[in-house]
Amino acid sequence: MKQTPLFLFLVALAASAGKAADGCLECHAALGDTPSKLFLRDIHHANGIPCSGCHGGDATSSDMEQAMSTKAGFVGRPVGDSVSVVCARCHSSGEEMKHLHSSIPVGQFELLQQSVHGKRGTDGRSRIAQCTTCHGAHGIAAVNDPRSPVHPRNLVTTCSRCHSDATYMRSYNPALPVDQREKYMTSVHGKRNAAGDSRAAECASCHGSHDILPVKDVRSAVYPTNIPRTCAKCHSDAALMKAYGIPTDQYERYAKSVHGVALLERNDLGAPACNSCHGNHGATPPGVASISKVCGTCHALNSELFSASPHKKAFDALRVPECESCHGNHGIMAASAALIGTEEGTTCVRCHKDGSAAYVAAGTMRRMLDSLESEETRAKSLVEDAEQKGMEVSEAKFRLREIRQARLESRTTVHAFDQAKLTGVAAKGIAVAGWVSAEGERAIDDYYFRRVGLGVSTLIITILAVTLYLYIRRIEKADRRQKTTTT
Amino acid sequence: MKGIGQKLYHWLDERVHLDQLVEFMDKKSVPMHRGSIWYYFGGVSLFLFIVQVVTGILLLLYYKGSEQLAFESIQFLMSKVSFGWLVRSVHSWSANLFVLSAMIHMFSVFFERAYRFPRELTWLTGMFMFFLALGFGFSGYLLPWNELALFATKVGTEIVGVVPGIGKPLMILLRGGPEVSGATLSRFFGFHVAVLPGIFVVLLTIHLLLVQRQGMSYPLRKEEERESLKTIPFFPNFLLRDLLLWLVVLNVLAILAVFFPWELGRKADAFAPAPAGIRPEWYFLFMFQTLKVFPAKVWAIDGDVLGVGLFALAGILWTLVPFWDRKSRHGEKGRLLTWTGIGVVLYILVLTVIGWLA
Repeated sequence: MKQTPLFLFLVALAASAGKAADGCLECHAALGDTPSKLFLRDIHHANGIPCSGCHGGDATSSDMEQAMSTKAGFVGRPVGDSVSVVCARCHSSGEEMKHLHSSIPVGQFELLQQSVHGKRGTDGRSRIAQCTTCHGAHGIAAVNDPRSPVHPRNLVTTCSRCHSDATYMRSYNPALPVDQREKYMTSVHGKRNAAGDSRAAECASCHGSHDILPVKDVRSAVYPTNIPRTCAKCHSDAALMKAYGIPTDQYERYAKSVHGVALLERNDLGAPACNSCHGNHGATPPGVASISKVCGTCHALNSELFSASPHKKAFDALRVPECESCHGNHGIMAASAALIGTEEGTTCVRCHKDGSAAYVAAGTMRRMLDSLESEETRAKSLVEDAEQKGMEVSEAKFRLREIRQARLESRTTVHAFDQAKLTGVAAKGIAVAGWVSAEGERAIDDYYFRRVGLGVSTLIITILAVTLYLYIRRIEKADRRQKTTTT
Repeated sequence: MKGIGQKLYHWLDERVHLDQLVEFMDKKSVPMHRGSIWYYFGGVSLFLFIVQVVTGILLLLYYKGSEQLAFESIQFLMSKVSFGWLVRSVHSWSANLFVLSAMIHMFSVFFERAYRFPRELTWLTGMFMFFLALGFGFSGYLLPWNELALFATKVGTEIVGVVPGIGKPLMILLRGGPEVSGATLSRFFGFHVAVLPGIFVVLLTIHLLLVQRQGMSYPLRKEEERESLKTIPFFPNFLLRDLLLWLVVLNVLAILAVFFPWELGRKADAFAPAPAGIRPEWYFLFMFQTLKVFPAKVWAIDGDVLGVGLFALAGILWTLVPFWDRKSRHGEKGRLLTWTGIGVVLYILVLTVIGWLA
C-alpha cells in the first residue's frame, strides 16, 4: 500500500488524539476517493467508529488482502436492506449507543420498517428507503448540523428528491401529487424556512421522520382526526409562537367548535380540519376576500348566495372578512336564527342602525325564521305525541323532513339577504308544518274518539249482555217452575 | 209481523221439512256439571273464527299482496281508511284469542276424554283445524311485510328445512324459492285467504255436524249417573249462554284493539341486519325456545332435526290419542295420560314464559 508522509502524519495525529488507527481510511484517503474524503467529516468518524464498523474487515491490518478478507468479516459495500441492518447494529442497540454516550433514540430502524417507506420497493428485493436514503453515507452529520440533509433547512430538498420526481412517484402512487415542495415554498412555513428559520414547520414536523405513515392510516399524524393535534404541537406552544405574535388558543377554540366536535368527537371525516381552510403544504391564512370561497368549498350554496348579495360589495369595500364577520373562525358554532335580527347580540346590529331599511329587513327575516322553527317544533311534538299514543302517523312523520329541509334551506337563503326570497322558502316550510300539525291533531283527536267510541260500544255490549243474562235467568226459572209443576 | 214470520216458516217447511230439525233441536240437551264451563270454548272458538272471516274480508278490500305494496296498503288502511285501524287490530287480536281458545278447547276435550268412542272423528277434525289455525297464524304473520315478520318467517321456514328428506323441498315450496322474498309473500297470501280457509270450512262443517249429531260428551266420571244428571235444553238455553259469552269476548276484543292497537313496525328489508328480539307468535314460542336450548348434536343426530322430529312425533301421538287410549274407551280415566297432559301444559307454559322473557 502506497502511503504518503502527510497521511502518515495525519494518522499519527489521530492516534495521538486517542482514537484507534483506521487502516482502511489510511489507504483510501491515500487513494483520494470520495467516500474517504467524506468520512473524515462524518459524525461516526468523529466518534471513533472506523470504516470496518460498517464494512467489516480488519482495520488494523496493513495487508490489504488480510484487511479486506471475508474471514475478517469484510462485507464490502452493503446493498439493499442490509444498509439499514448495518446501521441498526448500533442504532437499535441501547448498549452500543450508551457506550458511545449518545442520547439518540434506538427505535428508528423498527419505526422505519413499519412506516410507508419500509414497504417493499418496486424491485421487490429491498424496502423503499434505507437510512442512507435521507441521511446519506460517509458524510453523515448530526440532525442539528446544517450540513445534514435532514437538518430542518435541508429536509424539504431531501424529501423532494423523491417526492417531486413525477416519474419515480408514479411508480409507487400515481395519484400522489408531486407539487408539495412548490406549494410549501408559497406557504408561511416555507417562506420562513427558506429565510433560515429552522423552527418553521417542514415535512417532518407534520409527517414525522422514521415513522411516516400514509395519510389514510388512522395512526398517521396527518390523518384528518389527528391533524388539529399535529398543528397544535407548534401552534399551541406559547413559547414557540411568542416570537411570531400568533395566538395559541386556536386548538382549544376549534375543539369546541361545530367543526371540531364533528371531527374530533363524532369522527366525521367530512368535517374540516386545519388544512381544509388553511391548506396543507401551502398553509397560509386565507385572505379577507377569499374567505367565502374557502368556506364555500363545503358551504357552496351559502357562498354563491353571499357572492351575489349586496353584502359582498360592501364587505369588499370595507375590507371586512366575509363569513368570519358573522360566524367567527376557529371557534365557529352551529349557526342558528339567533345570529340574525335586531336584538342585542345579533350580528346585523353591528353595522345596521335602528330605523334603516336593512335593520327592518333583518327583523322581518328573523321573525320568519322563528315562525318556521316554532311551527316545526309544534308539528314535531304533535306527531310524537300521536305516535306515543299508538296512532299511525308515518306520513306526517315522513313529511317532518320536508319542514326540516325548508328550515335548512331558509338558513342558506339568508345568505342572499333578500327578504322576498327567504319568505318564499320559509312559507313553504310553514305550509307543510301546518299540514303535519293538522295530521297530528287529527290523530290525537282520533285517539280520544276511539276511547269514547270504545266506552259507548262497551256500554251497549254490556247492556246487551246483562239483558241476555236476565232473559236466560227468566226462562230457566220458568223451566224449573214448569218441571216442578209437572212432577 | 207474526203472520209474515209464520208464512215464511210454512213456506220453508213445505220445501225443506224444517219440522224435523225443530224437533231435533227441541230434544237436544246439554249436561250440566262441574266441567260444563269447558263446553263453551268450542263456541267461543267458532265466534272468533267468524270474527276472523268478517274482518279478514274487510282487510282484503284494501290489502295488496305484493312485496312493493303490502306494507304500504296496511299503512294506508290504518291511517286513511275509516275504522281500518280497528278492523286490523281486531283481526290480529282475534287471531291470537282464536288460537288460545282453540287450545283451551283442545286440552279440555283431552282431559275430559271427550275424544273417546264414538267421537274420534270430531277430535280428528278438531286437531286438523287446530293445525290449520297455526298455519293461519304463521302465514298471516308475514302479510304486513314488516321487519319482524320477514325474519320470523325466515327462522320458521328454516325450521321446516331441517326435516330430513322432505325438509328442503318443503321449505322451497313454502318460500317460493331459496329465500324469503316477494314470492313467499304471494304464496302465504294465497294460503291465508284461499287454501287454508277452504279446507278449514270443510273440516268445520264436519266438526259441527258431528257435534250436533252426537251431542255433548258426558264426563267419564258421570257416565254411570248419566240419567240423574241435570241438563239444559240446547235451544235456546245453551245457545243463549253461548251468545252471552260471545258478547263478553267481543267486549274484551274491543278493549284490546283500542288500548293495545296492533303495531305495524318497519317495512321489511331483506338486506337489513336482523332486528333484535325476533321471535315467532306466542303459540310457536315453546317450540322455538326448545330448539334454541336443544344441544347442537345429540349422539350423531343434529339437534334441530331431533327437536323437530320429537315435536312431529308428539303431534302425531297427540292427534291419534283416541285410537291408543284404550282405558277411556272402557270408561276409565288413565292417570298416566292425565299426568302426561298436565306435563304438556306445564311444558308449554314454562317454555313460552321463558321464550317471552328471553
